[in-house]
Amino acid sequence: MTDELSNMRPLPSSAISRPLDELDSPTSDKAGVVSLAESESHESESYFRLVWRRFRRSRISIVGGVMVGMLVMMAIFADFLSPTALNQIDLQNAHVPPQRIQFFYDAEGNFHLGPFVYNYVYELDPATFQVNWVEDTSKAYPIHFFVQGSEYKLLGLIPMNLHLYGVEEGGRVHILGTDKLGRDLWGKICQAGRISLSMGMIGTLISIIFGSVLGVASGYYGGWVDNALQRFTEFVAAFPGLPLWMALAALVPKTADSFTVFVIMACIFALLSWTVLAREVRAKVLSLRETDFILAAKEMGASNRRIIFRHLYPNVLSHVIVILTLSIPGVILAESFLSFLGIGIAEPLISWGLMMRNTQDIQTLGQHPWILAPIVFIVCAVLGFNFLGDGLRDAADPYAGK
Amino acid sequence: MLNYLIRRLIIGVFLLIGIGAVAFIVIKLPPGDFASRYRQFLLDRGTPYEEADRAAQLVREQYDLDKPVAEQFVLWIKGIVTEGKFGHSFAYRKDVGELIAERLPKTLLIAILSHTISTVVGVGLGIFVAPRKYGLVDNISAIFAFLFTSVPRFSLAIIFLYILVIELKQPSISNFYSPQYVFAPWSIEKVLDMFKHIWPVLVIAGLGGVAYNMRVMRGNLLDVLGAQYVQTARSKGLRERVVIVRHAVPNALHTIVAYQGTVLPYMVAGELEVAIVLGLPTLGPLFYDSLINQDIYISGSLLLIYGALILIGGLLADILLSVLDPRIRYT
Repeated sequence: MTDELSNMRPLPSSAISRPLDELDSPTSDKAGVVSLAESESHESESYFRLVWRRFRRSRISIVGGVMVGMLVMMAIFADFLSPTALNQIDLQNAHVPPQRIQFFYDAEGNFHLGPFVYNYVYELDPATFQVNWVEDTSKAYPIHFFVQGSEYKLLGLIPMNLHLYGVEEGGRVHILGTDKLGRDLWGKICQAGRISLSMGMIGTLISIIFGSVLGVASGYYGGWVDNALQRFTEFVAAFPGLPLWMALAALVPKTADSFTVFVIMACIFALLSWTVLAREVRAKVLSLRETDFILAAKEMGASNRRIIFRHLYPNVLSHVIVILTLSIPGVILAESFLSFLGIGIAEPLISWGLMMRNTQDIQTLGQHPWILAPIVFIVCAVLGFNFLGDGLRDAADPYAGK
Repeated sequence: MLNYLIRRLIIGVFLLIGIGAVAFIVIKLPPGDFASRYRQFLLDRGTPYEEADRAAQLVREQYDLDKPVAEQFVLWIKGIVTEGKFGHSFAYRKDVGELIAERLPKTLLIAILSHTISTVVGVGLGIFVAPRKYGLVDNISAIFAFLFTSVPRFSLAIIFLYILVIELKQPSISNFYSPQYVFAPWSIEKVLDMFKHIWPVLVIAGLGGVAYNMRVMRGNLLDVLGAQYVQTARSKGLRERVVIVRHAVPNALHTIVAYQGTVLPYMVAGELEVAIVLGLPTLGPLFYDSLINQDIYISGSLLLIYGALILIGGLLADILLSVLDPRIRYT
């Protein structure tokens, strides 16, 4: 029984409209089989092909997808992209400004085929004792690509020592400068992307699970269940989001290990953001509940569980993915703000917001404005997910009028 | 209508009690109670043990901390409603209610100002760009709208801070007034001076709102402009300007008002973020400091206040909507 159900496919209209007496004769039956096979082969493109075709049409959502993809790649291959080891502390070179990449002729007039950089050396201002970094133009360090450097483990598994770029011994290359501990800011930003992005994704994933369960239950069962769940959703939606997030995040004990903190933070973000999803899922389930294919499944005696997981939820899933994509930016923004305030992610974990924690001190900021660089990446992530989500929303329902 | 309002109010009260319960949990969740923290606070300041114990016991009795939690919650709510007492802040050494009374007007001022400005500007821009759909202005404004809703507002505040303090050397931006106006009576100069100080907050907190309002207004207006009665108005020979302003805009405005319930929490969060970074004496920094110092009664009370603000805002938006749009039926 169950196997039959799962094998059922919507019949092409030609098969249904054929008169019954034709079905009885053996010859026309054969013809019917042929027409069925034929019509399937060119009529139904798979759902994902249709979605992709629609998605492709909107240029801005492709841009969004590429942005997100690049950020994810950056996060995964942070060790490879960083010229030095990610946690290499070098207090001699704290807060070095971004090095300018030079081309062709150096100060001595030598020609370089590829790009090169000068080291920064520091000078004390004799009057104010302020540290000034000046370029040491006496020696140019050409940038080499795919160089051997410090050891790391790719994806945490494969030991490697290859880096995308680097300079010879004695030289340094920090294209975005260094932070207060002399770590390469670009490498650090890549690494911070791991937490920022995965926090966004895991936080929304948890809220998706929550919202889907409540939304489906509310829409499918109706009656007092629906009523109670709707009141509950309204109640949670009435909470002031950011203040409550802040209050809960501040309660996370400072002594907890970083993995626990990460999980708790993700749960805190999920705690309030599932309401949107629950409502949308409920609306979608409500509209599907009375459709023919659900009624047919019911008539055939399918259990509630079967109807929900095989028939209802797959049809809601595209919607869920869209909302997932669109709610990631909110979590990324909130996480960066909390970490910036020092009540979110804490060292040794690192996120884009946490990297900007030093900018709270106006003096530090004034002397080293380049530590604002993570903003660009936050904006990219938020924009990317928004664009991607917008495109997906238009594409998720390819059967709607074109 | 009246029935509907009364029902909304009753639901609102229940919601507030619920938010209060959560706020109370936030107060109670950290290990140890207020009295033990007060004792620690006294010990840190070099008070002898017996003295601190005695003081803690006094506090425990004074604030009913020796009673069951449920009763404490009821007493807390009762204190807020009847006497305006929110609990004791030991960092400021006064009742949280007084602290809130000091700062709430300024917070409301900023919130209402930035909300109004962002709504007016956003709606205006929306009306301006809608008839120019997919034109240059429309595309540029779309890009800016995306950008302003994507930039974290705290980082916008940092950038403003950097430009104002480091580049332009503007003094004292984390105040409402210049020193000479602090105790001066209200006058035009004082108001102007205040605007000179708070405009960064208004701009930063408002930009995202402008962008949201503009996009919503543009979408609504485009929907309305496609309606048949607009075509009728056009074929009567009315000027396009009249068609838009007289016939289309009033019908597109309802959605904006209904939308304020969504924008309001966003604006409150924006004010919170910016005020913390700029250090303005509003509720935001008070809330943040209380979280850092674990000044629990402030955190809990402000959570309640923020909840109430958003709730009241939503209620006002609903009332306004019912006034604007008589078609809405209440069931």
